[in-house]
Amino acid sequence: MEILERLVQAVQDGEAEEAVALAQEAMAAKMEPLAVVDALTEGIREVGDRFERMEIFLPEMMLAAQAMQKTLELLSPYLEGQKERREEKGTVVIGTVEGDIHEIGKNIVALLLEVNGFTVYDLGPDVNALDFIKRAQEVKADIIGASALMTTTMPGQGEIIELLRDMGLRDHFHVTVGGTPVTQEWAEEIGADSWAENATKAVAILERAMKERRGHARATL
Amino acid sequence: MPAPPYKMWEILERARTGPFCEDEPFIMERFMPQLKAVIRKYGIEYDPATPVPSDDHLADALWRAGLEFFLEVGVLCVDTHRIITFEEGEVKEALYLVPGEYLVGSGKDARLLKHRPVEDTNPPFVIFSPDITCDEELFSPLSIAYLKEPLADGVCAPILEESMGLKIKAQTPTELAGSIEHAMSLRQAAKLVGRPGIFLVAAGTAESDIAQISISHSDWGVRTSDSRLVGALTELKIDNALLNKVAHYQQFGCFAGSLTGPIYGGYAGRAEGTAILQVAYHLMGLLVHQAHYQMNFPFHIHYTSNSSRELLWVISASHQAIARNSKLISFSNGFLNAGPATEMVLYEAAAHALASTVSGANLWEAAVAHNKYKNRATPLEARMAAEVGHACAHMNLTREGANELVQKIVAKYEERVADAPLGSLFSECYDVAKAVPRKEYLDLYARVKDDLIEMGLEFPY
Amino acid sequence: MAHDELFSRMAQAVIDGEKERAVELAQEALRLEIPPLEAINKGYIVGIQKVGELFEKGDFFLPELVMGAEAMQAALAVLEPELQKRQEVRERLGTAVAGTVEGDIHEIGKRLVCTMLVANGFDVLDLGPDVAAETFIEKVRELKPDLLLLSALMTTTMPEQKEVIEALKEAGLRRKVKVMVGGAAVTPSWAQEIGADGYAENAIGAVEVAKGLVEAF
Repeated sequence: MEILERLVQAVQDGEAEEAVALAQEAMAAKMEPLAVVDALTEGIREVGDRFERMEIFLPEMMLAAQAMQKTLELLSPYLEGQKERREEKGTVVIGTVEGDIHEIGKNIVALLLEVNGFTVYDLGPDVNALDFIKRAQEVKADIIGASALMTTTMPGQGEIIELLRDMGLRDHFHVTVGGTPVTQEWAEEIGADSWAENATKAVAILERAMKERRGHARATL
Repeated sequence: MPAPPYKMWEILERARTGPFCEDEPFIMERFMPQLKAVIRKYGIEYDPATPVPSDDHLADALWRAGLEFFLEVGVLCVDTHRIITFEEGEVKEALYLVPGEYLVGSGKDARLLKHRPVEDTNPPFVIFSPDITCDEELFSPLSIAYLKEPLADGVCAPILEESMGLKIKAQTPTELAGSIEHAMSLRQAAKLVGRPGIFLVAAGTAESDIAQISISHSDWGVRTSDSRLVGALTELKIDNALLNKVAHYQQFGCFAGSLTGPIYGGYAGRAEGTAILQVAYHLMGLLVHQAHYQMNFPFHIHYTSNSSRELLWVISASHQAIARNSKLISFSNGFLNAGPATEMVLYEAAAHALASTVSGANLWEAAVAHNKYKNRATPLEARMAAEVGHACAHMNLTREGANELVQKIVAKYEERVADAPLGSLFSECYDVAKAVPRKEYLDLYARVKDDLIEMGLEFPY
Repeated sequence: MAHDELFSRMAQAVIDGEKERAVELAQEALRLEIPPLEAINKGYIVGIQKVGELFEKGDFFLPELVMGAEAMQAALAVLEPELQKRQEVRERLGTAVAGTVEGDIHEIGKRLVCTMLVANGFDVLDLGPDVAAETFIEKVRELKPDLLLLSALMTTTMPEQKEVIEALKEAGLRRKVKVMVGGAAVTPSWAQEIGADGYAENAIGAVEVAKGLVEAF
């Protein structure tokens, strides 16, 4: 088997050590680092799809994501010179809203966004609405992602949007909401920019949103 | 007249929907400049020569300044970063609906808690409270000692630091344990002493909202005839946990007290600003805390006390403002510099009681030794304040008369405020098993009381 | 205007807590090409030190202190770019990270201590109230301050001071920072029991203790 195929396989299987060793081999063989990353991204996307189809579960997915991160760490020095060629997908500030301590769903989204090329700032669970905004301003984020796992904490998603409005910052960020009880209707009711049913869809939706955002930015320039 | 709650859910909802504001601008751009503006507009001025002023115009100007300040600034909820604001008409409506008296406690131990006018000839309602923390094994003896006090209309117990030998940590299971131990032990102590229905307040071990909610129980815990407090954050701020207490006390059905301690030397600046803030806090207590009564302890930023001349002025002037312009029931909480079994602490208690009682306040006595040291409080400091408060009413004391007495008393200790003697521990002043004071302290107490009589105070007995 | 007069007006602007005036004077200094370091040291620092003195004497209170500190910081922000251009650094006594521990929402005592430290030449990052142990650790690791100030106002939140110190140990950072504890209920014996390096009764005492700890460092 080709090194690249074996590498993708190792990442999908969550074999971090093997993946890192193969990545080293690939670099020694002077393979194009960007092509390697693209193949890995495709591979991890497939893992996400399998997770969605319930062919694999959270542990497998977490292991695969970890292997991906370890491999990317190894590759990053090789990518340095080619940064511009690698697409910067956007910066996301993500967290679970105040009063809600659920994390897993949000972690999955954060992980998938990261391995798909977004820069992700994960604020953890129980995050105050204003803290989302402050952090987003600080890191010049494009997207604020707010997760809520309970019907009683969902209003916290609306609070972020209300605060953004009152602070005159509503147009600065794309706000996406998610979480088990969160629906498209709810997202519309509170005026969120997007809603995703699951982690894989979130990646696709935010990629699209970033394209529109960039297109819009260019148009206004 | 109906009691609070007054528009509780509408007001609580404003913590979610009110104007957006962050902490820093709330204080720097709203609180401080507005306070400065009303001090100037209403010409409020502190006079060190009259720690107990008798100027009705001053009292009324303070009231108007406090009301205007409260309406302009509002109350910030620090969790939602929203300001709870009020219309003037609402404040007036809520004030009109205040009944001015409640029957608190139960059975034979029930007492009438009333609004007091300035120079009231009825004695103050006195809550005896050590206001400090204590060792677990001293909780019952200390509580019993306070419950035994003849002039106690209500009792607030000391605060536990440990429960079953475990260090209490806020918002953890140890706090729930300590709070239940507090409530049960106090109930038991009240029954042992023979005052099973006495008005019990605060349950200070339960600092968090969840801990307070865990001790609401008509049998072993806090009853609907008892009371709990809702605090404020410095200054004119609140958070969701405190608002949880607000809602719970009303729905459980106990009496709610508003606990506020404006800081002299803090954001309010000096005496004038602190007095205006006192008035604003009473309005916050009524409308945000939905309180049936108010308890306040303005205190000095350096000494954590309020028995010095400028703080006595704050207390006297602000209570007169409130007594003359509302039916609010207010307790003045003494914070004294010296500790138990010192002459100084007894004089401080007397001065605090005089300035408060003649100005229309009830008494909540007393935090001693800068309110800092464990096991360092006894009922005798509170007894001195209570006896002086009763003497005040008994002899129909005027504000002028009180001012003269306070001047003489304050002169005895004001030089020593910064390095006041810390005095003795409860166990050194009391026979712990019997919960009665030792002879040495009783003798000292009698000497100070004789001296006060010499100065012109007339005790009822 | 003679430079000395400008300096004394800078000091006065800080004493009066006049932010706009402090900023104008900083701009004036730049126009006159006065070395920014000189303006800071002979003007604004003199002012803020005076504010600290007046606070100690009981003539000034918190409002004057925070307004003075604000005025000074606004002026420094004006001078900072020029300072950087000249590659000069302001003399600092030390750096500190401060906060009230988790579960405790009290602020004012800590704020007072922070402002007094700033007035005395420390750089202070105030994390606010209700700060989790992890946040303290994170900031110590990131900023490598000389001092970590932990405030707790209630006996039931004091145990958290101990937990932060334990967390520092576990993170291997305990020896890299001096820990000061304070708050209404905190006593010297508690400070000793939990292994803090310093304790101060009040804001004025805190400055002395902080200076002592930084010198010993």
